Amino acid sequence: MSAVAVRMTGISKNFGGVRALENVDFEVMAGEVHALLGGNGAGKSTILKVLNGVHEPSAGTIEVAGVPLTTHTPEASRAAGIAMNYQEMSLIPTLTVAQNVFLTREAMSGGLINDKEAERKAAELFAMLEVDVDPRAIVGDLGAGQKQLTEIVKAISQDARILVLDEPSTALAVSDVDRLFTFLRKLKAQGVAIIYVSHRMDEIARIADRATILRDGKHVTTANIADLPIDLMIEHIVGKRSLGLADVKRSDAVRGEIALELRNVSGRNKPDNVSLTIHKGEVVGLAGLLGSGRTSLAKLIAGIEPVASGEILIKGKPVHIRRTGDAIAAGVALVPEARATQGIIPTHSVADNMTLAVLDDLSKAGFVNAAKVRATTDAQIERLSIKTASRDHAVSTLSGGNQQKVVIGKWLAADLDVLVLDEPTAGIDIGSKSEIIKLVRDLAAGGKAILMISSELSELLTACDRIVVMADGRAYDDFPRAALDDPTDTNTDTAHRLQIAEKNLQIAIQEALTPGQEVSHGQQ
Amino acid sequence: MASSDTNQTPNAFQAFLGNWRQNIIYIGFVAIFLIFAFTLNDKGFLNPNNLLNIVRQTAMIAVMAIAMTFVLSAGEIDLSVGAVAGLASVTVAMAISFAGPVAGIFAGLATGIAIGMFNGWLTTKVGIPSFLTTLAMMGIAKGIAMWVSDTSAVPILSQDYAWWFGGGSIGPIPVLLFWMLILGVIGQVVLRRTSFGRRVLATGGGEQAASYSGINTAKIKFRVLVISSTAAALAGMLYAGRLQSGRFQLGEGDELSVIAAAVLGGTSLFGGKGTVIGTIVGALMIGLINNGLILMGLEFSQQLIARGGIIILAVALSQKRS
Repeated sequence: MSAVAVRMTGISKNFGGVRALENVDFEVMAGEVHALLGGNGAGKSTILKVLNGVHEPSAGTIEVAGVPLTTHTPEASRAAGIAMNYQEMSLIPTLTVAQNVFLTREAMSGGLINDKEAERKAAELFAMLEVDVDPRAIVGDLGAGQKQLTEIVKAISQDARILVLDEPSTALAVSDVDRLFTFLRKLKAQGVAIIYVSHRMDEIARIADRATILRDGKHVTTANIADLPIDLMIEHIVGKRSLGLADVKRSDAVRGEIALELRNVSGRNKPDNVSLTIHKGEVVGLAGLLGSGRTSLAKLIAGIEPVASGEILIKGKPVHIRRTGDAIAAGVALVPEARATQGIIPTHSVADNMTLAVLDDLSKAGFVNAAKVRATTDAQIERLSIKTASRDHAVSTLSGGNQQKVVIGKWLAADLDVLVLDEPTAGIDIGSKSEIIKLVRDLAAGGKAILMISSELSELLTACDRIVVMADGRAYDDFPRAALDDPTDTNTDTAHRLQIAEKNLQIAIQEALTPGQEVSHGQQ
Repeated sequence: MASSDTNQTPNAFQAFLGNWRQNIIYIGFVAIFLIFAFTLNDKGFLNPNNLLNIVRQTAMIAVMAIAMTFVLSAGEIDLSVGAVAGLASVTVAMAISFAGPVAGIFAGLATGIAIGMFNGWLTTKVGIPSFLTTLAMMGIAKGIAMWVSDTSAVPILSQDYAWWFGGGSIGPIPVLLFWMLILGVIGQVVLRRTSFGRRVLATGGGEQAASYSGINTAKIKFRVLVISSTAAALAGMLYAGRLQSGRFQLGEGDELSVIAAAVLGGTSLFGGKGTVIGTIVGALMIGLINNGLILMGLEFSQQLIARGGIIILAVALSQKRS
């Protein structure tokens, strides 16, 4: 084997009282593609941020090509040759490819910038790396794949020896992924160490040489890809997690009439021909990876993105949803993914946020009835046990979990039949998470129809009666929750059963990515 | 915010001082008033006539600034108010000379509504930012006013019109004070107590969250721009009544005083936060400063410098440090 490019030894990182990483060892060789795997909250992004200099480790050492890294700043990491690919974010769309690649290091002649020279140097670089991008093209006009390649070439031109790619294929078409992989193999041959983070295990099996798996901030295993069949990877990723979700009681839902029905619904790009029904009293989960079209589907139902074709029926009646107001009038509410920008108005009070969707009901002749606003707000604060100093405090003063409850309360006040929840527990502490999941169950028991998106499979498995798997904008399987349990397993420990179900769901998600192919169960 | 309306509780005064950055406008107003009262007393600052003159000079700015509070609260801006006031003063004067005062009032208001709708359409439907739409409209409105009036003053001979719109007074109290107070009360109530006002604040505070909550934010923006132009036209009509003529120069440059009044009063340039009472006090403060500087005997050039400095100081003090 070749030289060690990065050696991280005994890395721990605490945030306040929370231990995000615990004594993790991570080693990447020069000239290898090393996959970094783990579920949400496993510590992947934390260890990358430590490597990147964004976070200082609480304990442990980092060596780059044998030289210890003593200062932990992004500048120091970059100087040491570590480059992180921030999904197009470091490219300026209005400049050309060459101008971007050499930004702040422009070729000069006579004190003025020489764009021709930069284009020539960029063309040389692209030719050497066999990348087919026009150096004179404006970055904004490039496709996602070419942007990504430009971004990587930019990093390489700055003498990066360690390249971190975080979900690089999410925005790419299949052909672009192939091109990316060809390029990565080329870089590998030149001795660049590549750390590859992805949830797509089919890709990892194709491109990676070795993999390191983290779980709950701890190192689980590092092994050659050949020794890690996909089902074993999943088993390591899922592990036995102490989630605190196991105590959420699940009773069988009493299914009422059909509340929401989608018939062959497509959006402009995603989703693609999705049919789905949700009954009153039922929680349906959408599982899938980033970019699978779950959020687009949610936005389409809520009237934020337009329906390109297909039909949406609410309580059996076809509805035309063109804007959010239409969706609300039809009885559909969305608790959006980006809480801080889409869910709440942070500087406004709890009461103002909570009553935003029901202002007309609380007004007479255009005048807002202050007493009704107080009553409505207090009722939701009480019902959802929202912890706030008062109803007049700005929502930004509340914790993440309580902010999310305000968003949910806003829609409960509107008393709509269908609730769409997009990542309702994102960025919320574990205690509040199980509280939100319990709330979702209670709301369904109270007769609401709920569509829930979550990247945390254990949450979906705890909250949902049915789980639909999505990939590339299409809906694949539609599992009753019980179908994901192992019928032959007699172990009654809920945490154990959850773990088995999570593994089965993971396999279903990976299978949906490569339709027609079974995920290998054993040696490849 | 809420703290300023709850003056009954014994702690309200402490809370008021604790929130001093937010309430700097009120503290500053009182402070400047007291300073002028002591230093300029011999020059007639406290003379009731002088104080009423401040009101007369500020009323038009205040009327436009009340509407500007809505525009800024919705996260937009209207730079065309001064030019629209000038244009409306001309259209009202011309309509009065052709068809009498009632036609004049209609013509003036119609000018404002039409321009506001055009601003709103360009901003919400064509998608040009209001900063640019209204900047362009500033030139267009002024150009039209110069063109139709042939750059000369258009006299208003109707004494009734002149009395109602800016020239008259009831006893010693100028009619302009009533315009300012009535529109101020309406503005305050609409912004604080109606569902429209809530939606304006929500649109400016978080447009996406507002839109996700079912608020038609484009409609809200359209409406605030119409309100602003209409208020600007009304201000122009008040100028015309006070001076018994319409001329394109009336209101020239007012947009800066109007925006300064609203921002001094505690309305955020970035939307989501606005107070009509603060705006009116802000407008009065600008008038107060102008008046004081004149009484001090400063030259116009010195007045400009001093006024700019005081405004920068007040706004700087009201900024939250992060």
